[in-house]
Amino acid sequence: MTRGGLSRAGVLAVVLAVLPLALPQHWVVSMLVFTVMYAALASSWNLIGGFAGYPSLGHAAFFGFGAYTVALIFPNTHNLSNGLLPFAILPGIAVVAGLIGLPIGAIAMRTRADVFAIVTITLLFVAQTLALNLRSLTGGAQGAGVAVPPFDVANFERPFYYAMAVLLLVAMGAGWYSQRSKIGLSLAAVRADEDKARGIGVHVTGVKLLAFSVSVGITAMIGGVWAYYVDFVYPQFAFDPLITIGMVLMAFLGGRGTLWGPVIGAVVLVPAQQYLAYELGGSQLYLIAYALVFLLIMRFLPRGILPTLTHLRRRRRLIAAADPAPRTAAAELGLAHDGQGGARV
Amino acid sequence: MKVSALACAAGLVLAGCGGSHGSAGGASKTLTIGVSLSLTGDFADPGKAAQRGYQLWADHINAAGGLLGKKVTIKVVDDLSSPTQVVTNYTNLITRDHVDLVFGPFSSLLTAPAGQIAKRFGFSFLEPAGGGPKVFAEHLNNLFFVQPAPVVASGQVFADYILSLPAAQRPKTAAYPSLDDPFSAPIADAIRARFEAAGIKTVYQGLYPAEAPDLTPVMAKAIAGNPDVIVSGSQSTDAYQQVKALIQLKYSPKFMFMSNGANSPVEFPDKVGANNTAGIFSAGDWFDGSPEPGSAQFTTEYTKKYGGTGQQIDTNSAEAYACGQLLEQVAAKTGKVDNATIISTLHSGAWPTLLGSLSWDADGSPKGTFHLVQWIDHQLLPVFPAATAKHTPLLTKPAWNG
Amino acid sequence: MHTIIQGVILGILTGGVYALMAGGQTLIFGIMKVVNLAQGAMVILSAYLSYTLFTSAGIDPFLAVLITTPAMFCLGVAVQWLFLRQLRREDAAELSILVTFAIALAVEGVLSVVYSTSYRSINASYANTSFTVGGYQVSAVRLYAFLLSVGVLGLLYLLLHRTRFGRAVRATVQNPEAARLLGVEPARIRALGFGLGTATAAAAGSVFGLIYPFNAGSHYDLISQLLSVVVLGGLGSLGGAVVAGVIIGVSSSVVAVAWSPTWSQFTFFVVLLAVLLIRPRGLFGTVLRGAL
Repeated sequence: MTRGGLSRAGVLAVVLAVLPLALPQHWVVSMLVFTVMYAALASSWNLIGGFAGYPSLGHAAFFGFGAYTVALIFPNTHNLSNGLLPFAILPGIAVVAGLIGLPIGAIAMRTRADVFAIVTITLLFVAQTLALNLRSLTGGAQGAGVAVPPFDVANFERPFYYAMAVLLLVAMGAGWYSQRSKIGLSLAAVRADEDKARGIGVHVTGVKLLAFSVSVGITAMIGGVWAYYVDFVYPQFAFDPLITIGMVLMAFLGGRGTLWGPVIGAVVLVPAQQYLAYELGGSQLYLIAYALVFLLIMRFLPRGILPTLTHLRRRRRLIAAADPAPRTAAAELGLAHDGQGGARV
Repeated sequence: MKVSALACAAGLVLAGCGGSHGSAGGASKTLTIGVSLSLTGDFADPGKAAQRGYQLWADHINAAGGLLGKKVTIKVVDDLSSPTQVVTNYTNLITRDHVDLVFGPFSSLLTAPAGQIAKRFGFSFLEPAGGGPKVFAEHLNNLFFVQPAPVVASGQVFADYILSLPAAQRPKTAAYPSLDDPFSAPIADAIRARFEAAGIKTVYQGLYPAEAPDLTPVMAKAIAGNPDVIVSGSQSTDAYQQVKALIQLKYSPKFMFMSNGANSPVEFPDKVGANNTAGIFSAGDWFDGSPEPGSAQFTTEYTKKYGGTGQQIDTNSAEAYACGQLLEQVAAKTGKVDNATIISTLHSGAWPTLLGSLSWDADGSPKGTFHLVQWIDHQLLPVFPAATAKHTPLLTKPAWNG
Repeated sequence: MHTIIQGVILGILTGGVYALMAGGQTLIFGIMKVVNLAQGAMVILSAYLSYTLFTSAGIDPFLAVLITTPAMFCLGVAVQWLFLRQLRREDAAELSILVTFAIALAVEGVLSVVYSTSYRSINASYANTSFTVGGYQVSAVRLYAFLLSVGVLGLLYLLLHRTRFGRAVRATVQNPEAARLLGVEPARIRALGFGLGTATAAAAGSVFGLIYPFNAGSHYDLISQLLSVVVLGGLGSLGGAVVAGVIIGVSSSVVAVAWSPTWSQFTFFVVLLAVLLIRPRGLFGTVLRGAL
């Protein structure tokens, strides 16, 4: 299993590395930047929202934190001699965001499920209001310009793409590790039944906080790269509920709590969204088309693309097996519903 | 799985390639101009007004044989008011559809990211919206804000008018309720600085957020000190809400200036009631009956194509149209409309448009002034400066009526 | 002081409207654990319906409620039947967030095609009227809106507590299996419950359109506001929604007057956070069952 995982990771790394070389047009690479960005966001969200079962809607607060940190350390008055400098501070941003995340996570994770979702989205609005109101620090509603990247025009998008790709690998690596390690087992126990997990001696609070902290740390780094790429941040765009909703949607769509689900969700949704807005925007049909894609997927693949496919494959195998007794099949189905173990690819 | 999915997505994207071909290079018979506008969401209204202006100019120039003999087409895409999408859109327009030129986006919050992309690829960037101070702080030499003055200075004409009055007629106290956004609050701040220097006392000054659903508490506080003049740094719907709140609070100030919203000739009377508009000041760069070059023709063509009357034309349409007029003049003067020529040509001299004569500093900030407009007898008329005025200003705002 | 009392009056009237908008949402959550992000879009849709009835047929928005309510009820039942029915109960609460968000986008999309995206407002003859009571201004529209909200919520309460249908609904909430044994069909109750929750958006839409300018995108602002009301009051608690609506209305307008509107939202969310941390189920929420 581990060998399979490693080889898949190798393939992913190679594909990510080669993609912009194979498709070097600016517009393709630019779209790849955002696709990989959302894949990374959804994967980092998945650490807490999927594996631990805490559906945070507040991750955009940390995305915005990372974005504003880059914008304030490298304002547009700053003449960058080395364009890679803003990337160099990302680990620092991750550490600070992770530390900020500790007390926030500790307080928020006293609640569960739906209430947790609301508490975290509240945090997002608190953060946005602070960015708007602390004018002397953030520039308030006027926004903040970021230093212009001094990259060669011909391959301008590449550094951002590779930064996002590395962050995706980090997020997936964290996901992979948490599935295989004792921490992963603890998280799965937390998701299944937190009280019972505590009862059997799992360090519930510890693993939850660790997962939350790592998750928001990665999210903050992604925000930093985004700010550097789009060049200008405003509170309503850096702390945007739609960014939260985007990452959650993609994780759900692909299959949350699975390693590859969030990536697949992003690969399907981001190009579709950007493409539809570009092509259909002028005719107002974009929203309808986007919503329909969405509703159809939810209607026919309600558990996410990956789990549904796995489930179908398993059922086909089962039906093909010698004993097609409906009862057994039903029992097997029920089993697949309960544990999501089968969904992990 | 991942590989096939990616290939799938790439296929989806590439499939779109075949559909739309811009004209590449100067040899072709058409000239395509790409624009990203917010056609959904909060900025959809002004976005569509701008779209009408662009299209009208394209029709106008094509009827006259095109620009330097090339047929002009405008390619409009939607940016969903999202910086991520606007980056995608301008990158796509320039590197995928190979448009010849681009104009700036609406909403104005997206101007800076879009302007950077245009600069990177050597494109000129005429933009009719997005004149906040931070935009010019980006020092984009390819950017030209196609309005007579930067946003901060658009309310100066009201201060000029008030300070031109004899001391006895001037207001003594002022309130400044403003929307907390880059294009509203700075206008009220600039007026306040001049009023305070002239001894007009500030009795209220405050910001409200964009999502404030209700402005009655704000206005209740603003009028607590009985201000003679209310200077609103307003944008659109908040302007309507301010007026409705004042009506319900039964307070009518002697002077009222609203930076935006009140200068929307159709929406404003519709939202606050036509009888409540009387006496309200705003700032405008274009008005029906403006003597500036091309204005009369613009009005005729607009009403012919879209219906309505000249009074009902949104200034965003005129500003978008002016972008096209500038291209025409560059073409007439140099015989070329490539990006480098546009940038170098527009940076020198002054250019007559239907918004008046335009000229810019190195950062694209325009150097002119706005007109003061006022609602008089259900019409939005220029009242100051006297040279272009079509009516004398109403000295005292009539009471609310309805 | 005068302005603060003026703020309180306004806050109470506005709070009633919040309660009306959130009432349907909390009801839907109570019946089927669906977090309905589409409620805001339904309110805006109803506002447009009311607008059309007013501008083309001259029907007063308060009367239009009699027409829009059944229409919204049918729409709600259809939406539940088409998109929510098949969600499995275990993750219905979380998946429903996605499904209802997509529905909200679809409604927004259709509205912006049909009505374009210009802001509309319903300009009834009394739109700008206000009464002077003891030196304070009370807006006529808001007063009527408040009364309508109280009326609709009262009817909803009676429906749930004094009718057979209400008993069946409450039985389903408390114990779907037992209710089924007693001859109540939970699937039917869920569809009717969603319809009922959506139907309250009709009255809310008329009121919203009279007070605020709106366009298809206006529902985004409503999502967080309505969620806040519902959660503060306690998910599933109708009475809680009323109390929470008034708290939100009053607190935001008092902070706006006493301090600055730019901090209204901040103050409110901090209060909400505090309440949730002390009482994770909200002010009137119960832990498990009998939420209605």
